[in-house]
Amino acid sequence: MTPFIRSMFVVARRDFLAIVATPTFLLFLLAPLFMVAMGLAGGVGASQLADSARGAGRIVVVADPADIEGLRAADTRLRTAMAREPATLDIRIVSPANADPVAIAREKGSDTYAVMSGPLTAPRIVEREQGSSAGRYLALLAGDVLRARAAGPLPSVTPGFESLSSGGTSIAVQQSLGFGAVFIIFLLTLLLAGQTVSSLAEEKGNKVIEILAAAVPLESVFLGKLLGMLGVAVLFIAFWMIVAMGGGLIAAAQVDPAAIAAAGKAGKATAALASMPATGWAFFLGIGFAYFILSFLLLGAVFLGVGAQAGSVREIQMLSLPITIFQVGMFSLSAGAVSAPGSGLAHFAQIFPFSSPLAMAARAATDDAKAVHLLALGWQAIWVALVIFLSVRLFRSGVLSGGSGWKFWRRTRCAGAAATLTESGSPQSH
Amino acid sequence: MSDFSVEANGLTKYFGNYKAVDQVSLAVPTGSIYGVLGPNGAGKTTSLRMTLGIIDPDAGTSRLFGGQRPQSVRHRIGYLPEERGLYPGMKAREAIAFMGALRGLDWSEGRRRAAGFMTELGLERVIDEKIRKMSKGMAQMIQLIGSIVHAPDLIVLDEPFSGLDPVNQERLEMLVRRERDRGATILFSTHVMAHAERLCDRIAIIARSARRFEGTVDEARALLPMQVRYTPRTAGDPAAVAANLPSGAELRGDAWHFAIQDADVEPLLARITASGHGVTGLSISRPALHDAFVHIVRQVDAGFDADATEDAVEEASA
Repeated sequence: MTPFIRSMFVVARRDFLAIVATPTFLLFLLAPLFMVAMGLAGGVGASQLADSARGAGRIVVVADPADIEGLRAADTRLRTAMAREPATLDIRIVSPANADPVAIAREKGSDTYAVMSGPLTAPRIVEREQGSSAGRYLALLAGDVLRARAAGPLPSVTPGFESLSSGGTSIAVQQSLGFGAVFIIFLLTLLLAGQTVSSLAEEKGNKVIEILAAAVPLESVFLGKLLGMLGVAVLFIAFWMIVAMGGGLIAAAQVDPAAIAAAGKAGKATAALASMPATGWAFFLGIGFAYFILSFLLLGAVFLGVGAQAGSVREIQMLSLPITIFQVGMFSLSAGAVSAPGSGLAHFAQIFPFSSPLAMAARAATDDAKAVHLLALGWQAIWVALVIFLSVRLFRSGVLSGGSGWKFWRRTRCAGAAATLTESGSPQSH
Repeated sequence: MSDFSVEANGLTKYFGNYKAVDQVSLAVPTGSIYGVLGPNGAGKTTSLRMTLGIIDPDAGTSRLFGGQRPQSVRHRIGYLPEERGLYPGMKAREAIAFMGALRGLDWSEGRRRAAGFMTELGLERVIDEKIRKMSKGMAQMIQLIGSIVHAPDLIVLDEPFSGLDPVNQERLEMLVRRERDRGATILFSTHVMAHAERLCDRIAIIARSARRFEGTVDEARALLPMQVRYTPRTAGDPAAVAANLPSGAELRGDAWHFAIQDADVEPLLARITASGHGVTGLSISRPALHDAFVHIVRQVDAGFDADATEDAVEEASA
């Protein structure tokens, strides 16, 4: 082990232990639980809202008693074929009380989306929103009743459904897998890499930075800190993977396999699982993890470098917004690349170093070439090194040398002033 | 092995338009204790930082152990920065082992030596205590141990005595001497002359960014004439007594104070004996390093003031 690597691990070990061996880390580790709890609460609330709304909505037909039977039959036939099931159909018999459809539409107590009245050949449809699906459905209903009446009794259709269980993977599913990979990597980096921005603040605050700078190359301090944070991130992910797998196993043991099979036939999620990313599941997951690490290191290195320039906690807090926006920008770029594989945008996202891990992970889902990933990993690693190198240069020439209050944008002015002083000569020289 | 552990030449550093260090050179003989003295803000810390390669000089070079770049011999150096800093959440033993590990020492060996050093310095009570629970002086001793735990060949201490109580200052002096006896070279900065006087083989005095003196402590003291304190037996006419003494003699209480050159000692004694005023007290001594230091710094300051006046005149006439 070279002294450089050695000192890097000394720094990483210290950082890792300092983070993990605190009560706060437990809070950090369990934070996703809060998210899940919030999500559940929100979900329950939303579904209750949806339930109550569904019960209240209706469409109304004011019909001649002769047409009622036909309308009901047509409604039963058509209802199931609609992509989104129409609201409850309320059929009323023509009477002076029901003469005004506008009044019916305005009745309190329920949402009335559309009201149809008049003869079926020329119905009058009052709808809440122009061109609404409820209105179109009512028109269709009227037409169907007339058609059924004209054609007489029809033979019933008994279709035999066959599902395409092993017909290969669709491009759309692969793209959504790619998008999933982009999203997961983005989310994890957003949650975990942002911390690096403040990780040098500790050393600057308690002055340990000078001990570190004197004892080891600053590059190994920066890389060590990054590795320490990566260790924390990997621990975090591993913890939740184990929890999820454990939970999954327990659930699987308690649920009847037949029920799963029955549910599986209908579920879209199982369809996605049954399909394959272009490079195969094992490679896809492996390379996805590798890209997460590179993404973490790349963004972490940038944040570490930027954070190292910050003079105070407040500056670091101010920096967190642009940093988050930067990450979201990389996410949007990569997400755009996923939806258009092979396009110029996709190539740009794959080559641009900071979006490259995200975009390349997505590519692993849609493109079966594997060698290109090795190239991408190398390319990204070069950028990690480059960013660290630059951060250290800035840090050395700035924070360490300039005493307090140094900012990189002041540099040229100071250099100019120094030059003037040299020309005039130092006072004690004469 | 080179004769000099530290050879720094013409180190210069600007902070903005301020010349913090101007052409400072240091040559520290191997196996010696070397003091860098200077008033606050003279540029001592910056000079040491440049010597160790923590910051890059704008001009000049620093070579250690016979021509090696400071960055390439980090594991042979121990450094106590002026601004003390330890991770407050770390236990003392771990903090020392951590600092050793940074310099390439094995963790377990570092922990073992940490316990040894701490016991020796009367700190065994807090071996497994966290740094944040310690007093400032204790933490400083911990950091000091941390900077020498890997048995470095060159130990650089920036203001090591400040913030320590007299007992700990004594222990630190003992430690410094022992490290020297082990074969290490010690370079330290201070503005407390007593320590330098007791410890240093050689000193450099830095004032107003530049080196103003380099030599042994005795050489520094020899810069000033010897000080005489003379009390006559008979309380006669002061003017009559003063006639026998060099001009500038000053009467404070019963005693006369004045300075004389080395060559004037015997003639003075003869004159006093012959004068008949008698002697109840007479001391002839070299001034302390303190006086030499103040003398040098004042001279530099006076030079600066004169320059400032000159500059002002020049500006006015221009």
